[in-house]
Amino acid sequence: MDLLIRNAHIVAPGEDLHGEEKDLLIRDGYIAAIGENLPSAPGLEELSYKGQCASIGWVDIGAQVGDPGLEHRETLHTAGAAAAAGGFTAVAALPNTQPVIDDKSGVQYISKNAYGKLVQFLPIGAITQGCKGLDITEMIDMQRAGAVAFSDGEKPLQHAGVMLRALEYVKAFGGLVINQPLDKLVSHGGQVHEGRVSTAMGLAGVPAIAEEIMVRRDLHLLEYAESRLHLANLSTAGAVQMVREAKSRGLQVTASVSIMNLVYDETAVADFDSNFKVMPPLRRAEDRAALLAGVKDGTIDIISAHHVPLEEEVKKLEFSYADFGVTGLETLYALSRTYLSDWLDAETLVQALAYNPRKLFGLPVPHIAVGQPAELTIFHPDMEWVYERGRVRSRSLNSPVLGQRLKGRPLGVINNNQFFSALA
Amino acid sequence: MATVQQLSTKHVLGIKYLTEADIRLIFETAQSFKEVINRPIKKVPSLRDVTVANLFFENSTRTRISFELAEKRLSADVVNFSASSSSVKKGETLLDTVNNILAMKVDMVVMRHPAPGAHHFLAKHIDANIINAGDGTHEHPTQALLDAFSMQEKVGDLAGKHIAIFGDILHSRVALSNIFCLNKLGAKVRVCGPPTLIPKHIRSLGVDVSHDVWDTLQWCDVANILRIQLERQDIKYFPSLREYGQYFGINRALLDSLGKPIVVMHPGPINRGVEIASDVADSGHSIILQQVENGVAVRMAVLYLLAAAR
Repeated sequence: MDLLIRNAHIVAPGEDLHGEEKDLLIRDGYIAAIGENLPSAPGLEELSYKGQCASIGWVDIGAQVGDPGLEHRETLHTAGAAAAAGGFTAVAALPNTQPVIDDKSGVQYISKNAYGKLVQFLPIGAITQGCKGLDITEMIDMQRAGAVAFSDGEKPLQHAGVMLRALEYVKAFGGLVINQPLDKLVSHGGQVHEGRVSTAMGLAGVPAIAEEIMVRRDLHLLEYAESRLHLANLSTAGAVQMVREAKSRGLQVTASVSIMNLVYDETAVADFDSNFKVMPPLRRAEDRAALLAGVKDGTIDIISAHHVPLEEEVKKLEFSYADFGVTGLETLYALSRTYLSDWLDAETLVQALAYNPRKLFGLPVPHIAVGQPAELTIFHPDMEWVYERGRVRSRSLNSPVLGQRLKGRPLGVINNNQFFSALA
Repeated sequence: MATVQQLSTKHVLGIKYLTEADIRLIFETAQSFKEVINRPIKKVPSLRDVTVANLFFENSTRTRISFELAEKRLSADVVNFSASSSSVKKGETLLDTVNNILAMKVDMVVMRHPAPGAHHFLAKHIDANIINAGDGTHEHPTQALLDAFSMQEKVGDLAGKHIAIFGDILHSRVALSNIFCLNKLGAKVRVCGPPTLIPKHIRSLGVDVSHDVWDTLQWCDVANILRIQLERQDIKYFPSLREYGQYFGINRALLDSLGKPIVVMHPGPINRGVEIASDVADSGHSIILQQVENGVAVRMAVLYLLAAAR
């Protein structure tokens, strides 16, 4: 695969070329030359959108891929296509499939698949068998087979004793535990953030403390176990503050936030639109501001697409009957540019989408330098487009911005000697 | 006197979405219908050729009968549907059920449904006028309208009046609709009940909160006592009906100790001896049966005004 990328603004924090505008020549999957006004050649494809940017490929840290068992929502093929269109070259697959990814063969099923070598799938093994929250899985076996981390995914681990044993057990191989914090006895049937809006809607609320109690618990367990923990998809100001303090005390904790919680607040659900029904729920404007501040000061390391594809039979329903979750891989970048352009610079975004996820999973970090394999995302911060039904690459349509005009667009990804054009 | 002669909305999904002028227009119209239904010939031809479907996905006796009577007195053609006798049990979705009924050329839908916002969902997908007859724990607008209408009859204009709502506020669509309605009419509202049955953020709707029944009775001009909704409580919010009745129920001795008359209301059905003692329900304080009568007039007004704008 040969490609000449013209006048790309390079976003590579910490590297020499960061902030410069260069032509990048890709030949046979490697960066063959970097310079200005590199010569065109007959038959050499060129990518030359004025204002385009280039970074190393982005990595999502937890998507529902639907495969195995839920292929009516997503398959590894459609998830891969959606990821490539969204600028991702790797996607960590949550274990909440049917069956659950809770043993070696499940992990191998995910890791042997890839989307045309463009998008690599990184299996996350379940912490407990069947994600039931009771008995821990064969984590060493799964790690050897390629699991990058352990989590019960959409099912927050309720049992403190099991959580403690998981945190201790993964130390045998320097493993990582991921938990999305929510105490289900406190949230009890909650549909949206508990507050002014839920009260006026007559909907059962998920109080902020339902999350914060579990963040506090997990941090205590982490400190005791002296292990590594990632708290996924935080949504409250209190949770961000607890993580900030834990980091300053030297605990090995990292955190992420879903793009939905960065972009929207509780008022988005006031019209009972189930495409804003997500877990964790959209919270107060103050929480959203605290999450943004957390991303800026590094308390929150990673922004996730929190991709949860769902068929319309479980989504296009009365609000309280609809499932939680929306798709996100294809629209994360555009949402960030459309709604957060005053808040989030390219450098912070690339740090949160490309560098920190690799650090989290201990993956090698590609470099933008001559002679290196090309694993790149090309994106345009200002290009406008419509996320139209006909353009959706995910198998599911449960997006709050379907049909909406957006600003900011991934143009394509390059990986393993292949080029995927999102505009094609 | 209202200046508009038409409602500002095509549906009545909740009091939240009505203006004060809408509410006053409904009251004014209900007043004339109240005269009509007390005549020897109670029927008017206003809704002739209008077909109304009453869709009840949740049990109801008084609301369903009240709507049906209102529709029949306006000469509408009426079809009734209730979940127990329907294909919902066979797994049909709400949208499919309603679309099937609309395919039979129904103009208006009166619906009760257990899911909050079910009517919003429907309004996005169908064309008929929709009247909310109760959606889960969200709203029950016609109940609030008939409550406020009945209060006004007893105590005059509600601006500045003290209205207390007692009981299970957490699971009550009547409480929410009452709060929105009374606020729009300028009344001062207080809710009173055990803390576990009062939503934590209820003050954000502009009401006071108390857990002291006697103090609240002393404060109020009207006491609207809500039913304990045991069917909506999947976990225990209070230890026993016995203790509830003893500490949060309203009985004659309490009322007598106030040294002032107050108006007692209840949307029904009542749990005698729990939230309200029989000697209160059947007393001269109580306007429970007037509420029921006014319910028909108020629902006639809502149906008439929506149909008039078609």
